[in-house]
Amino acid sequence: MSIEIRAISKRFGGFVALDDINLQIPTGELVALLGPSGCGKTTLLRIIAGMESADAGQVLFAGEEATHVHARDRNVGFVFQHYALFRHMSVFENVAFGLRVKPRKVRPSAAEIRQRVNDLLKLVQLDWLADRYPSQLSGGQRQRIALARALAVEPRVLLLDEPFGALDTRVRKELRRWLRRLHDEMHISSVFVTHDQEEALEVADRVVVMNRGRIEQIGSPDEVYSNPASPFVYQFLGNVNVFHSRVHGEWADVGRAGGGPEGEATAYVRPHDIEIEHRPVVGSLEATVQEVHPIGPLVRVELAHASELIEVELTRERATVLALAEGQQVWLKPRQVRVFAAPSAAMEEGGSGI
Amino acid sequence: MSTAASRRANTEPRWLRVLLLCVGLGFLFFFLALPLLAVFVEALSAGWSAYIEALDDPETRSAIALTLLVALTVLPFNVTFGVAAAWAIAKFDFRGKSLLITLIDLPFAVSPVVVGLVFLLIFGAQGLFGPSLAAHDIKVVFALPGIIVVTLFITFPFVARELIPLMQAQGKDEEEAAISLGASAWQMFRRVTLPNITWGLLYGVILANARAMGEFGAVSVVSGHIRGETNTLPLHVEILYNEYNAVGAFASASVLALLALVTLVAKSIVEWRMHRETRMLAEALPAEGNPGRGRLVAPVSPASGDF
Amino acid sequence: MSASTSRSRVLPGFGLSLGCTLVYLSLLILLPLSGLAFKASHLSLAEFWAIASGERALASYRVTFGASLLAATANAFFGLIVAWILVRYSFPGKRAIDALVDLPFALPTAVAGITLATLYAGNGWIGRHLESLGVKVAFTPLGIVVALTFIGLPFVVRTLQPVIEDIEPEVEEAAASLGASRLQTFSRVLLPAIFPALVTGFTLALSRSIGEYGSVIFIAGNLPLISEITPLLIISKLEQYDVVGATALAMVMLMISFVMLLVVNGLQWWAASRHRGDGPSDGEVR
Repeated sequence: MSIEIRAISKRFGGFVALDDINLQIPTGELVALLGPSGCGKTTLLRIIAGMESADAGQVLFAGEEATHVHARDRNVGFVFQHYALFRHMSVFENVAFGLRVKPRKVRPSAAEIRQRVNDLLKLVQLDWLADRYPSQLSGGQRQRIALARALAVEPRVLLLDEPFGALDTRVRKELRRWLRRLHDEMHISSVFVTHDQEEALEVADRVVVMNRGRIEQIGSPDEVYSNPASPFVYQFLGNVNVFHSRVHGEWADVGRAGGGPEGEATAYVRPHDIEIEHRPVVGSLEATVQEVHPIGPLVRVELAHASELIEVELTRERATVLALAEGQQVWLKPRQVRVFAAPSAAMEEGGSGI
Repeated sequence: MSTAASRRANTEPRWLRVLLLCVGLGFLFFFLALPLLAVFVEALSAGWSAYIEALDDPETRSAIALTLLVALTVLPFNVTFGVAAAWAIAKFDFRGKSLLITLIDLPFAVSPVVVGLVFLLIFGAQGLFGPSLAAHDIKVVFALPGIIVVTLFITFPFVARELIPLMQAQGKDEEEAAISLGASAWQMFRRVTLPNITWGLLYGVILANARAMGEFGAVSVVSGHIRGETNTLPLHVEILYNEYNAVGAFASASVLALLALVTLVAKSIVEWRMHRETRMLAEALPAEGNPGRGRLVAPVSPASGDF
Repeated sequence: MSASTSRSRVLPGFGLSLGCTLVYLSLLILLPLSGLAFKASHLSLAEFWAIASGERALASYRVTFGASLLAATANAFFGLIVAWILVRYSFPGKRAIDALVDLPFALPTAVAGITLATLYAGNGWIGRHLESLGVKVAFTPLGIVVALTFIGLPFVVRTLQPVIEDIEPEVEEAAASLGASRLQTFSRVLLPAIFPALVTGFTLALSRSIGEYGSVIFIAGNLPLISEITPLLIISKLEQYDVVGATALAMVMLMISFVMLLVVNGLQWWAASRHRGDGPSDGEVR
């Protein structure tokens, strides 16, 4: 089922949590709401679920107005960040809950409930834990039970709030691949909230990048990473070097040749988009090698230009060819630059974004 | 606890530990154990038969019955309003919440004698409602209703005070999950909230009950001390004691002391259960090296890190 | 961050539960207490002052506050030791003793009163020995202190216990590794950490003691001007049908209660805010 968000705004006292949000989520898509904490992503998710009501705007499910439908009647599966499993119920009873509280007329029989719950537990590969209590499960198991519980009522939409936020790295990686596979099997429209860019880029069909209550960019993972629409998205997704036109005139000009804005400008270049040369070339920037760190498959080079630090990532092969030594004079040339009009003071205090 | 005790750097020198143990335990012995023991020794000082006889006295029996009646009457009010207050305070934000919490504590701060007087002034013969009550031949003061009302006042905070921190710590995630799964308000309360607060509720009820059965000052003012009618067991103890009937007074007192012991045991059991539940929740987590361990024990709010 | 500021709340029952609470609170607690104030307002200020500062009244305040302060101080001292040994040391019967600390909460005050009076009377188990040393406890102001110490004991212990439990052993180890003696560690590291709780426990015990009636009257002797506490003076005025006098004194007690309640709240807020980590966390965006 498709979800449509129209002009949603929400304030908490003087704090603007959401400011005129518009978003369309087509049927069957897995969408990530990505942003730093306080950006409004969880509030948006809770508004979709009906747990929070917006100050203005509409929520439509499959084209139908759902803004004032109570959370209990939205038929939305919600997975909480801290699982919110019913602590005094067994795993089986947790999953069965949504079925047991249905009105008598539409409630499945006891046998049907048992069948459905067992199927769901098999789906999340935890049927052997049916009689355990939530406190006896690991975090990853709890998360999967929470998902099974949400799926039991056959929701039209699945909403997940930081689903892997409280798990350690290894379990998190495993679970997100599993969630992707599960989504491909069930094909139910899903929205999940995350502050982890890697998670969003790996799992989602589409990524909605949010900041300060607004949507910065909507696009496929590749789009938002390779073609960020704003300085914020550039800095939030991956490392980036920031160059100010008044400091690094030539570099900003390189970008400007590609049709950048007039006046004060800032150029954004990813560390792996910078080439290091031993000799000056057109549009290159002189810098001094400060440190060379081999990190796994990459070699990270820190260079100084004037008082600023520039980070460059090279492949090991390229680093071997260059044979860089500390204190060496080199020239940098960008492969891909994005130039934005000079940012506000607030952006600048974020530093170089590295 | 034991880890702290076993660490060398963290322990006092041996002589000091012995001294502290002696002073602390000695203090507890003289101020708690000895009085408790004295109640039973005094009660049995004239032998078992005198003890049984004292308890078998019709006035004593009616005092016990009245005390039980008052405690049972007060119980449902305390449970209902304790749960209601805790639900509103723990699960919602509203203006004046901290003032409300303070007001709930108010009965703890007011002297029982003042409480009794307050209701005497309202329902007594010269009180605000006194004449109209007398006109309808309704007796509140120096009768059962008065005793019940002051007991309600005195025991008002117990249940709410136990439940508020408990329900705040549990957060509202589980209730929201129940609602999002389609549960009605009653289903949510009955199947999710109530089982989660059972032990805390029981704890509050035990404390309120001990206070209800033992209240002296406030009840003393409004009861009128009518023997066999409005004498609760603590008042009965006073009367017998003032009549120099030591065995009778201590026999009745021993019933109340037994009640106190039962309360302490029940309280310990409930505490142990509550402690185990929180510990189970906390222990299950480090299995995956969970960084957000503290949070899961007491979820701050559903959107703790985010809006 | 919360559903509550929104127009419609997801969780049900807010209006019902808050409404019930407010109605019940108003009918049972607030209206009756304002009834007292209303009754007291019939008195002119001069009349009120004459009763509230009468000789017997002043003496009763002195006895009540003096005994309460002494008892709360004794409780702060012994309570700290009891809380410390219950948290830090292990000894046989610890759980039972820990449970016993709540006895003054559970034991009806009248029972405590007659028992303490019997124990400390001249022929009692304790009084006998004290009297041979020339110390009279029962039926003197000292008896009031004993009764109030009994009543206030759990407040200090129960307030301190969780705070002592929360002290991380690492803190003390750090102090020791930096060369602090055990006494220095206690006075500079531990005491500052538990001090707010100690003051809170002291104030709670004090607040309870000031209003206490049942346990005191049996052991006090109740001699006007010497060992008569204010709640008892209220009762004796009532027994002499001096409702006005009783009301005025009750009003004084009620105002003291309010002040104590405010102090306790302030202290608890203070203790809580000292324990809360207010520092910004790393990587905090806001």
